[in-house]
Amino acid sequence: MTVITDPVLVAQNLKKRYDDIEAVAGISFEVKRGEVFGMLGPNGAGKTTTVEILEGMREADSGEAFINGINIKEDPTAIKSIIGVQLQQNAFFDNLNLAEIVDLYARLYNAKVDPVEILGRVGLAQRKGAKYKELSGGQKQRLSIAVALVNDPFVLFLDEPTTGLDPQARRSLWALIQDIQSSGSTIVLTTHYMEEAEELCDRIAIVENGQIVALDTPDALIDQLLETGFKPQKRVREATLDDVFLNLTGHELRD
Amino acid sequence: MKLYVALTVASLKMYFRNRQALFWALFFPLLIMLVFGIMNFERYNSPNVGIVDRAGNPASEGLVQALSGTDDQDVLSVTLGTHDELMEDLEFGDSKAVIVIPENFGTPGEFATIDITYDERFQQERAVIATVVGQVTDAVFKQVAQVPDEYRVENNIGISESFIEGQGQGFKGWLIPGIAAMAIMQTGLFTVVFTLVRFKSQGVLRRLRATPIGASHFLAGQLTTKAIVVVLQTYVLVIVGSLVLGVTVGQGRLGAWFDLTILALLGGALFIAVGLAISGWAKSEETAAPIANIISMPMMFLSGVFFPLSIMPEWVVGFAQYLPLTYLADGMRAITVHGDSITTLGNELIGLAIWIAISFVIATRLFKWE
Repeated sequence: MTVITDPVLVAQNLKKRYDDIEAVAGISFEVKRGEVFGMLGPNGAGKTTTVEILEGMREADSGEAFINGINIKEDPTAIKSIIGVQLQQNAFFDNLNLAEIVDLYARLYNAKVDPVEILGRVGLAQRKGAKYKELSGGQKQRLSIAVALVNDPFVLFLDEPTTGLDPQARRSLWALIQDIQSSGSTIVLTTHYMEEAEELCDRIAIVENGQIVALDTPDALIDQLLETGFKPQKRVREATLDDVFLNLTGHELRD
Repeated sequence: MKLYVALTVASLKMYFRNRQALFWALFFPLLIMLVFGIMNFERYNSPNVGIVDRAGNPASEGLVQALSGTDDQDVLSVTLGTHDELMEDLEFGDSKAVIVIPENFGTPGEFATIDITYDERFQQERAVIATVVGQVTDAVFKQVAQVPDEYRVENNIGISESFIEGQGQGFKGWLIPGIAAMAIMQTGLFTVVFTLVRFKSQGVLRRLRATPIGASHFLAGQLTTKAIVVVLQTYVLVIVGSLVLGVTVGQGRLGAWFDLTILALLGGALFIAVGLAISGWAKSEETAAPIANIISMPMMFLSGVFFPLSIMPEWVVGFAQYLPLTYLADGMRAITVHGDSITTLGNELIGLAIWIAISFVIATRLFKWE
């Protein structure tokens, strides 16, 4: 069993330019073992570029990053073999069924897995013979998480996993992510849903214009804001519209 | 290696579950081949004959002219050449008769015998050719030799007939390797273009790049699949074609199948590389499809797939003979129809090798993962 370092992920002053836009302008943070670390920010803030650098999919112009002590720039292949990745846009082969897709990806990581067991972890065991294109949006996201789990990763990257899902599917995915965390995985998650970050993340970094403008636990960040004398424009009620919707339409998945 | 096999098996599964790809790779060329073969378009053409002009005088030239007919109306499709060349054409079905005009043809007062050798299997063509030659010599001799009317032509010109049993397979035998070559082009180009462009635009390749293996291994598996498909498809087309249309392959030479496999792989490599270049460059299927068509359509008609290059204007033949599909179709035809060994196909092999090199260079320059 490989020793897992703590912090498991270290990013130091990462920078990345595209032509005249500085997408990532000096980002540093650490992710502790076993936590869910959220990166929040509006579209185009630099979340995805940062995550892609950490995944070894893009090279940073400057700065360094380590996962479990391995320098990403020096050995991206080693990094790729110990992380699990769910990209913002995932697509899998049309003409393979789910079990075949999971099996094929397991081979790419040289991992021995039972595809049905992995599919069971994300609630898709029943659909092992289905084709990717027959899945609903939520099921597609679940499959891409299943594929990200084939190598039993040290760090699981989830890039906007719930974007485009209905509230039922979103909540069911949250439960899945919490379940994965409780089995000891470290998760780096990007989202632009504040509610999602509050529900799932132990700590969050708020990214704006390629920089981290705040980094703390959700509670601490809210407390800091309140200390400045901030008053919400609307009175806080005991329930949200989300609750109303779920109360009326039920919590069961519609997949 | 295990991974490579696994990836190839997976992509074979993907391929054979894709009914659309199967249709275009197998059933469509098979359909065209059987329809054209059974309709036998050849019979609407004027018969090909070879003429050996040993006299070389105005009288014999006039005879050749008259046998050829006018531009508007072919009487016979005439090829001039040496006796050996033309007999070989007859032997392999490229022509239906060889007509030898003797040295003393047109010499006043001398009795000249025109020798005609037929392929005995084509009696219908024999009847047409014999009638045409009889009528034309009659007219020409009267005119050129200026023989007074009272001398009957028969007194001075004789026609002797002989027969050989040719090895040629006619239009059907000619069509099968052409269609097989065309199918190799279509499979190489279109299945590579459509699967890779789709994988690219949907982000399948991107997701693969996030694995430690990367997408290049996957690509290798995909290309191996296409190569296997190209060979299988060639076997199916040639076997079904020869059974249904009743022709023998490679003059019965068993090594022909090995040679065909090599040629199919070379052709496959060539068109797969062209497909890679297109799909590497194009961002979506909408841009890739027209390019693939622009490349394949002219070749389909200019490379001697359905009709021989010789019926086309000379300026077309001038460049059509250098097209990649022409080399492939000619090579496959030499193997299946003439029973040639691949070692004798220097011209075709060099042509294919040059095109393979060109397209691989372009493909590696143009290919982008995203």
